[in-house]
Amino acid sequence: MSEIILSIKDMEKTYVGGVHAVKGISFEVTKGESLAIIGSSGSGKSTVLRCINRLIEPTKGIVQLKGERINTPASDINDVRSRIGMVFQSFELFAHLRVIDNVSLGLIHVRGIGKEEAESEARKVLERVDMLDRVDAYPGNLSGGQKQRVAIARALAMKPEVMLFDEPTSALDPELIGSVLETIQGLAEEGMTMVVVTHEISFARDVADRVLYMDQGLVAEEGPSSIIDKPKTERMKEFLSSIND
Amino acid sequence: MTSEASTEGGLRLSKAVNLLLPVSLFLLLISFSGVSAQEVRSGWDLVDGGTVSDLHTAEAINGEIWAFGDGGIMLKSLDGGSTWIGNVIAEGYNWSHSDSGYNSILIATDDGVTIILENIGNGENDSNDNIPIFPGQFPINDVALTGSQEFVTVGENGEIWEFDGDEWINRSFGIVNDLLSVSFLDGEDVGLISGEEGIILATDDGGASWDYRDAPGELSTVDIVDIEYFSSIRAYAISEDGHILKSSREGSLAVGFVWSIVEIEREYPVGGSNEFVKGGTELDYDASSIKVLSQSKIMLAGPSGYLSLSKDGGNIVSRQMIPVSNNTSFNAFAMQDGFRGVAVGDGGVILRTENAGSEEFVGFEVADFNDFGQFVDYSKERLMDGLVATAKIVFFGILMGFSLGIILSMLKTSPTTLKNVAQTNRYQLLIMVVLVPLWAILKVPVSVFNIIGVIFGSKKRHHDIGSNNWVMVNPLDSTLISYREKAAQIAASEPLNILAIRAVGLVLISFGVYRILSNLDEISALNLDGWEHIYSPIGAPSAVFWIILGLAIAVLGGIFLSCNGDFSIRDLKVRKTEFSLNPWGIRPLNTIATAYTDIFRNTPLLVQFMFIHFGFELGRRMQDPGLMLFNFEYLQGNANFLTDIFVVYETNPESLGYGRPIGGILEDRAYISAIFALGLNSGAYQCETIRGAVAAIPSGQMEAGRSIGLNYMQSMRLVVMPQAIRICIPPLGNEMVNLVLNSSLAMIIGYAEITRQGKLIVATTFQVFWTWGMVLVSYFLITWTLALFLRYLEERTRIPGLGISGGA
Repeated sequence: MSEIILSIKDMEKTYVGGVHAVKGISFEVTKGESLAIIGSSGSGKSTVLRCINRLIEPTKGIVQLKGERINTPASDINDVRSRIGMVFQSFELFAHLRVIDNVSLGLIHVRGIGKEEAESEARKVLERVDMLDRVDAYPGNLSGGQKQRVAIARALAMKPEVMLFDEPTSALDPELIGSVLETIQGLAEEGMTMVVVTHEISFARDVADRVLYMDQGLVAEEGPSSIIDKPKTERMKEFLSSIND
Repeated sequence: MTSEASTEGGLRLSKAVNLLLPVSLFLLLISFSGVSAQEVRSGWDLVDGGTVSDLHTAEAINGEIWAFGDGGIMLKSLDGGSTWIGNVIAEGYNWSHSDSGYNSILIATDDGVTIILENIGNGENDSNDNIPIFPGQFPINDVALTGSQEFVTVGENGEIWEFDGDEWINRSFGIVNDLLSVSFLDGEDVGLISGEEGIILATDDGGASWDYRDAPGELSTVDIVDIEYFSSIRAYAISEDGHILKSSREGSLAVGFVWSIVEIEREYPVGGSNEFVKGGTELDYDASSIKVLSQSKIMLAGPSGYLSLSKDGGNIVSRQMIPVSNNTSFNAFAMQDGFRGVAVGDGGVILRTENAGSEEFVGFEVADFNDFGQFVDYSKERLMDGLVATAKIVFFGILMGFSLGIILSMLKTSPTTLKNVAQTNRYQLLIMVVLVPLWAILKVPVSVFNIIGVIFGSKKRHHDIGSNNWVMVNPLDSTLISYREKAAQIAASEPLNILAIRAVGLVLISFGVYRILSNLDEISALNLDGWEHIYSPIGAPSAVFWIILGLAIAVLGGIFLSCNGDFSIRDLKVRKTEFSLNPWGIRPLNTIATAYTDIFRNTPLLVQFMFIHFGFELGRRMQDPGLMLFNFEYLQGNANFLTDIFVVYETNPESLGYGRPIGGILEDRAYISAIFALGLNSGAYQCETIRGAVAAIPSGQMEAGRSIGLNYMQSMRLVVMPQAIRICIPPLGNEMVNLVLNSSLAMIIGYAEITRQGKLIVATTFQVFWTWGMVLVSYFLITWTLALFLRYLEERTRIPGLGISGGA
């Protein structure tokens, strides 16, 4: 049994106004594992992801990173976040910074690394996502797929222990999805621990070690990626068929 | 890529155009500056007196003007000096000195021969026969009629003689210096004598006895060549070196006791030039005769064609154009009133004026303001002063407004809630209250040291600490980190101390209630009734302040007291209306900033100006302690460019303004108040502008910043603000242009900016269209330059793909 990187126990989230988005879910992610969370819109997938690095404070439950509880006032939230990479659906690159500065910003200001060293580090990471030729471009001049790969590089540069992908391909044109998925797949093969919220069923099936199907704030079905082909519950069957249509 | 490149090219072109416009405009302005030179005309008219003899003296009395000169020449004009009737009286005598009064004119030669011409102005004495000639006793330098129809002469070696109508009485009293000039107040027995080596004598008994008066010590070796006792409160004299001396009545001391040398601030040379000789106590030209026209209006005459006028007692002296050669030596004036009269000189020259010799078209004196060139010549200096004054308050106002705007907008968007405050433990409190401020103070010298290190070749930076370099680390770094760890441990190990929070709440409530109760008396003592209470903040400012603060503290205490460890939302039900209110969600910093912006945005700026300057007297409150801090004695050896921002003192010991503030913010109370009124007001508006721009940044940007581990302030500083400021350059430009335009309101508190200067120009010239038009142009130039700069800045900082800018 390999090391448990991320552990979530009985996590609940009620938004201000009373929406009960997550109604108590638990799961664990071991080192090198890639977990795909699928589910229809509004099922609470993104909320779970954001609760992990506390962009949203979970109302109840325990989130542990490498056995250390992180959703208490005691944990240094900035340190925790720097150890958890996050990739957003809408990229959220810093629009006023060049690609290289986007990637090295965290290294300089969070890790305290000098500018030159941080930039050489950033170049290495950008090479991994095949974006080395656009280091001086501004995000506004990149295509969607390129932006997302830079966003992945930005998270990757911090050498995170786990990476969270929040629907990384949803905002992309179909022909651009491929390159991003390839990049993520490459990371998975290199042994990066990751949690991917996705609508790409084929990606979940091919890349993820485990699949977690969420419905109405609860885990409806969980298992190895093979469950996508043989769903047990009616809800998941419906969901899969609606996607495949 | 190609589109990007072409965009870059386009940017460069428009940048160049933007820079070119103001530069070319400026050059245009400079190139036109010399165009307004005008034909020079004199304020004196040459009139024909029918003689070429030197004229030494002249008198104006009873509507007639008389002039006297060599060879017994005597000229008379009945029409104010236009036409002259010549005559010779007592041929062979060179009339050099004169005085007039009691319908008579007294004339004398250098040898002391005197004649009295009586019944002047009644037309009877046209014949000059049979006039008694008093033979001379000794050489004289001046004569004067006394108050008792007698006369006094002064001469060489201290000779003073009084003639009582029958015989000469020697009034000399042992002075050996030559006495040069004597003057009596018309119709009175008080008189003054001046002489060599700074001698001034005075009498109050018609010349029977004379006493020394103190001339300024600097003149102990200088001859005082002419003196005039003008009125019971003013006398003037002039020295051979060009000192103008002035004496005023001071309290019980009569005129003549206290003499001062007039500080000549500016001396305009001949012609219409605006160039002037500055400073000093001596005139640039020799003057031998002084004529006082009013308490502060004096005319001077001298050799080398020197005629000049000062309207302010000698502070500003402007030499006048003359229609004759500059070789002419002028000897005397005869003035019928403050404007009309003649000046006489060698070679029979008589110049006549109706305007005290002022040229109508030139100089800073009376100009023809219907001529636009003349009008501009007059007003440009004032407008330029106003422009500089406006630029000063605008610069500091913008600086203050922008900093305030940034701070306020940060406060307004700050996410800190009461919940965060309540969850603060004692170590966090220690860190916030003690350690972080100390750390920040130490950060300054450390950064300076490190910057110097980088400049002097050490390229090692922050991350190389520990290797062989001399980068300094903030000594509190490790302490801060260890305390942060402790604070985190406490937060983890200890549950929220509800009891402590409640205890704090109780203390706060007690304090708040105590504050309210102890200040209520003062409010009730105001005797206000009903709605009148809205004015109580003015009637008892500190009481109202404490009551409001007490209320806030008591409410805060109540919230703390109600703490049960659950900071989640609470639904309140009042009657049948349900609404949700989470007191723990209150953001205290936001509340403070909102109160500030509400006050400043909901009152008129004009009233703020008046309240701040006249009501609150901010200028005085800042100036007095400021000048005490930066006092003259301290700054005498320690002034530098930083203290110059606050105050600059006059350090020339010879200047009258020695030791007085002549520059810097603290110089002028209205200046201080104007900066603060503009800055405080603009800060409130800029805060909202910046906050709007911050709100326009997608929340995902903040999330992305936080997700890579930046803390809130870092994300704000590195991610949100750089984008927000770019977005809000156009509206901030609006605010800054508004600030420039609003600066015109500073005239209401007496600050001499452009609009006020415009008002002053109108008061002198009555050219309303031109004046206000030029004021408009001045403002337009400032704001337009500012707008161009902001446009340039906007394009310069534009990021491809960020925002819709019409360009890229």
